[in-house]
Amino acid sequence: MRYPDIDKYAWLDSPIHRLEPRIKILSFTVLIFSAVFVGNIPAALLALAVALLILILSRLPVRFVLQRSTPILVFVLPILLLMPLTVPGTPIWSAGPVAFTEEGLSYAVLITIRAVAAIVLVLTLLGTQRIEATLRALSLLRVPGVIIQMLFFTYRYIYVMMDEFLSIWSAMRAKGYTLRPNRYGLSIIGNLVGMLLVKSYERAERVYCGMEARGYRGKPITVAPFSITAADYFACLLLIGIAGGLQVYPLVAL
Amino acid sequence: MHISDGVLPMPVIVAGWVITIILLAGTLRWAAKKGDIAREIPKLSVMAGAFFVASLIHIDIPPSSAHLILNGLVGVVLGPLSYLALFIGLTLQALLFQHGGITVIGINTVNVGIPALICYLAFLAGSKRGIPLPAIGGVCGGLGVLLTVVLLVLVLVVSGDQFFAVAGLLAGAHLPIAVAEAIVTGAVVGYLVRVKPELLPIPLKGEKK
Repeated sequence: MRYPDIDKYAWLDSPIHRLEPRIKILSFTVLIFSAVFVGNIPAALLALAVALLILILSRLPVRFVLQRSTPILVFVLPILLLMPLTVPGTPIWSAGPVAFTEEGLSYAVLITIRAVAAIVLVLTLLGTQRIEATLRALSLLRVPGVIIQMLFFTYRYIYVMMDEFLSIWSAMRAKGYTLRPNRYGLSIIGNLVGMLLVKSYERAERVYCGMEARGYRGKPITVAPFSITAADYFACLLLIGIAGGLQVYPLVAL
Repeated sequence: MHISDGVLPMPVIVAGWVITIILLAGTLRWAAKKGDIAREIPKLSVMAGAFFVASLIHIDIPPSSAHLILNGLVGVVLGPLSYLALFIGLTLQALLFQHGGITVIGINTVNVGIPALICYLAFLAGSKRGIPLPAIGGVCGGLGVLLTVVLLVLVLVVSGDQFFAVAGLLAGAHLPIAVAEAIVTGAVVGYLVRVKPELLPIPLKGEKK
């Protein structure tokens, strides 16, 4: 288990890092949605090229991006392997009952390119600013206060709970526990989770009392440390223009 | 388990967001009627953090390896507000670990959140009938995962016939996790009954039913 250090390269300096957080979130979100919905492979490749260009501009280390994009494999690999074999269509190659179809392959490739383009954009967005800046910008973008506060608190307590978990876990391991997928091993995990919940519940009570004593009434106090410059507006227009272009391109090319 | 960006077509993604926003608004309104929502935020968040960490526990069940989902347990402990807690958890998972995409947070929350709500109701119904609580807990734990798999398969099949085989593979891979999760959740509920029963939605000893 490792800490969620998604913003460990937020201290780097690049044109992408310097973008104002609200502008960055807005324009990247539009771009991500556009990349996710592109209709054909050439447009998807274009989206991927744009995403990679932005990534290069952001100077994030390649290793960071590669490591961070592995979770998409869970979905992309089965799709790449199974779709060409199971989608009916014109066979490119066949051996007995097994046929490798063109339709299946092109659909699988389209999904893969879209998924890679999206994850590169997501990582560039999140990797180039502190997560606190992201959440604060979201709150300035009128995301409901309840959601923002919960995101802030939960984010903060994930670290606390991880430490809590790791201390219980190392105590268990010191006593000779190894996790095996049988009834005994799993019910011990159940006790561990239960202990984590009880500890967190009691901590939550203390946290709430402490916060109320300091005047918390459920309203966040937001300060706006961000200022939008002309360059930000320009970048925003450019990125949203690209997003629109990605959607228009397949229509024109066909 | 959590769908990535770029896989689903637009109508499915939009539908996911619409359902999630309606359910979030509904459960929040319900919570506001019951009491001060400001009171709930810090508690709910700390609990959501604990569930988030617990769901990072990695269990290797050959041939697959998976994380616990624990949506059945979240449903039992947090009740209707579990939908909000799971939404927050999934958002953070997408933001911090890239488990699941950004554009599909809506549909992913539907997939784990609705089973959590159903598990809450199932737990209430079961505890009224006097079935041993760890047993209902175990059923809820398994049910949470199974319903999530059913919803996931439905989402994929609705998205296109192309996903048929992929959906089957994912469903098969998750069956062992349902069993593991049933055992874990049963044990958690048993532990909570002994140690901190006020976390469960049951009448406490000496309290009027």
